[in-house]
Amino acid sequence: MLRKAYYSILVVLSLVGVWATFTRLSEGLKVTGLTTYSTWGLWVVFYIFFIGLSAGSFLLSTMVYVFNMKQFERIGKAALLSAFFSLLAGMVFILIDLGHPARFWHTLIYRQANSVLSWEIQLYLVYLLLIVGELWLLLREQLSRLANAADGFKATLYKVLTLGYSVPSEEKVLEEHRAKAAKWLKVLGIIGIPTAIGVHGGTGSIFGVVAAKHYWNSGLTPIIFLVSALVSGAALMLLVYAFMGPENGEKKSLLNQLGSLLILFISVDLLLVVSEFLVGLYSVIPDAKEPLLNIIAGPNWYIFWLGQIGLGAVIPIALLANKNKTTYTSGLAGLFVVMGIVAVRWNLIIPAYTTPHLEGLNNAYVDARLVYEYAPSTIEWLSSLGLIGLFVLAFSIACNLLPVFKNEEVELNYDRQSQGLSTSIQA
Amino acid sequence: MSSKSDEQKMDRRSLIKAGVTVGSGVLLASAIKTSTSVADVVGGKSTQIKDLPKGMADDEFSRMQTELLKALAKPETENHWIMVIDQRKCVGCISCTVACKAENALPPGAVYRPVIEHEIGTFPNVRRSFLPRPCMHCENPPCVSVCPVNATYKRPDGIVSINYERCIGCRYCLNACPYGARQFDWGEYYTENTPEIQPYEKVANYEYGIGRVREKGNSPIGNARKCHFCVHRIKKGMLPTCVTTCMGRATYFGDLNDKKSLVHELIGSARVMRLKEELGTKPSVYYLV
Repeated sequence: MLRKAYYSILVVLSLVGVWATFTRLSEGLKVTGLTTYSTWGLWVVFYIFFIGLSAGSFLLSTMVYVFNMKQFERIGKAALLSAFFSLLAGMVFILIDLGHPARFWHTLIYRQANSVLSWEIQLYLVYLLLIVGELWLLLREQLSRLANAADGFKATLYKVLTLGYSVPSEEKVLEEHRAKAAKWLKVLGIIGIPTAIGVHGGTGSIFGVVAAKHYWNSGLTPIIFLVSALVSGAALMLLVYAFMGPENGEKKSLLNQLGSLLILFISVDLLLVVSEFLVGLYSVIPDAKEPLLNIIAGPNWYIFWLGQIGLGAVIPIALLANKNKTTYTSGLAGLFVVMGIVAVRWNLIIPAYTTPHLEGLNNAYVDARLVYEYAPSTIEWLSSLGLIGLFVLAFSIACNLLPVFKNEEVELNYDRQSQGLSTSIQA
Repeated sequence: MSSKSDEQKMDRRSLIKAGVTVGSGVLLASAIKTSTSVADVVGGKSTQIKDLPKGMADDEFSRMQTELLKALAKPETENHWIMVIDQRKCVGCISCTVACKAENALPPGAVYRPVIEHEIGTFPNVRRSFLPRPCMHCENPPCVSVCPVNATYKRPDGIVSINYERCIGCRYCLNACPYGARQFDWGEYYTENTPEIQPYEKVANYEYGIGRVREKGNSPIGNARKCHFCVHRIKKGMLPTCVTTCMGRATYFGDLNDKKSLVHELIGSARVMRLKEELGTKPSVYYLV
């Protein structure tokens, strides 16, 4: 029943999202509440939110496949899958933000070595291939088995997803394949770490390099981005595993460990935010001080205090610190943090348009689109919520169809590997 | 030298004294003269303005016009267009803003040259100052380096241009410009939601020398837009429209590489300043404060 309601809501949201996105694409950017001076809005907020979610999830997966942190093994595939869907979501959000979405291919043809954005778009594609490669290596064996076991549509789907891989009949060959897959996973993971850092640190640099905006122009910007990415990645995994993960004895301990990791990430993130605010507020330069003042005491103060601090840090830490917490409390903490990170992303983009470029420019010309104010339009809200619904739906279906939480074979392999490792260390 | 300039001043003063009718008559004559010689130049016949009335030849306007034609005779790589704005002469009439809007058929949400007003001091010791703000055409333009598709670039003559067909409308450049000079075409019309979109909103603009009518989905709708020093006019031997419409004659335009030019003379003034010099953008727009 609950399941049915969950999917119905997501389907309705997706339909609304498709309609709103279609309206935006046919009508152009005039359907937004954006202005010439408040240049980027809700779609860019969600773009960086999803890119961060993707990088965070991916970095979590590398803990398993590169650093051999076996305790997180069970969420490895789900993390990669969420990295995949988050990246797609991020790219869709930035696509619909373009004035000419149909010209997106220009970014691949007309490169500009000095532009962070140009590098980012190339990196997203490399990163997408890496994730797909890792997922294939991880899932191919079980997909092949499932393709043989299932019938009808599912069998075809699994067959397509195996990309032609089939489980060898000989046990020895299979062992070789598994060893090879583990090795390649490690290689891809190692390439993936700098790529994921590049993807999100680079996305932070898009803002960090803008000398015109005092609020963004800091070496701390890309770092805060990365750390918030880790926060959102760990939180999402907490949420996903608490509500979708299989019920077994390990579940609680895994959630506890994820929770501790999340608290660590949140603490580092808070430290950086405090540093940013103390240094910024000390300044008397209007561009440096005003956006920060606007965040903590402006008309939208609640986005910071309730969203970023409340939902993003205080409440989840309180929930996770509770010794008698259930799996659902952990999951809820994860959900709150993910929502808190949306507030973090909002506070990075929107307050940057608080102060006029030049004193008095805000009053120089009267025009609804020449103001330093922004409120998302209905279409922006509907398309954003709808697209999020669409990607959550896709992710949920993928989690159910694909064997992301069942990984006996690979686990076995890791067991052997780590046993071999420990025996060699003992020897 | 000084006696000559005194004579000039006398000339000008007497001109003004001669009254509006005579004055405008002379201006009209000079305008006709100028336009014929422009036509000559465009036709490739001559690079000189001939037979200007005495006294008018040294008028700042005619001088800028002559110098423009002289500069255009050189290859583009040897030009460096700059603008000088004398804030003491600017009366804040906003003619330039309006003329620019009309010249480039600008939609809502885009203004290439707003005039910023400042009030300095308190009554009775108070003064208003006006700061027209075109694109600075920086020597180190931050908007150019951030563009992911190389759609905006610095021309050899110093003008920062946009390739509308290549621009994807990501608006990164709008964020990178420290002066707020970059605008965006949101695809709106002033007479939208009225019985009819008026024809004047559907006339072609000739930015960068290409006639474009604003229509849904086509450039420049969905593109970053900005002041381009009226490059389409310059190519035809005409001064930028904000220069010719300035009733206070506060805006000057010319080639910095011409050491004898009026603009070169003007920026030697002790009153000269540029906006946000500390950012290292090196604007090509100079202000006389």
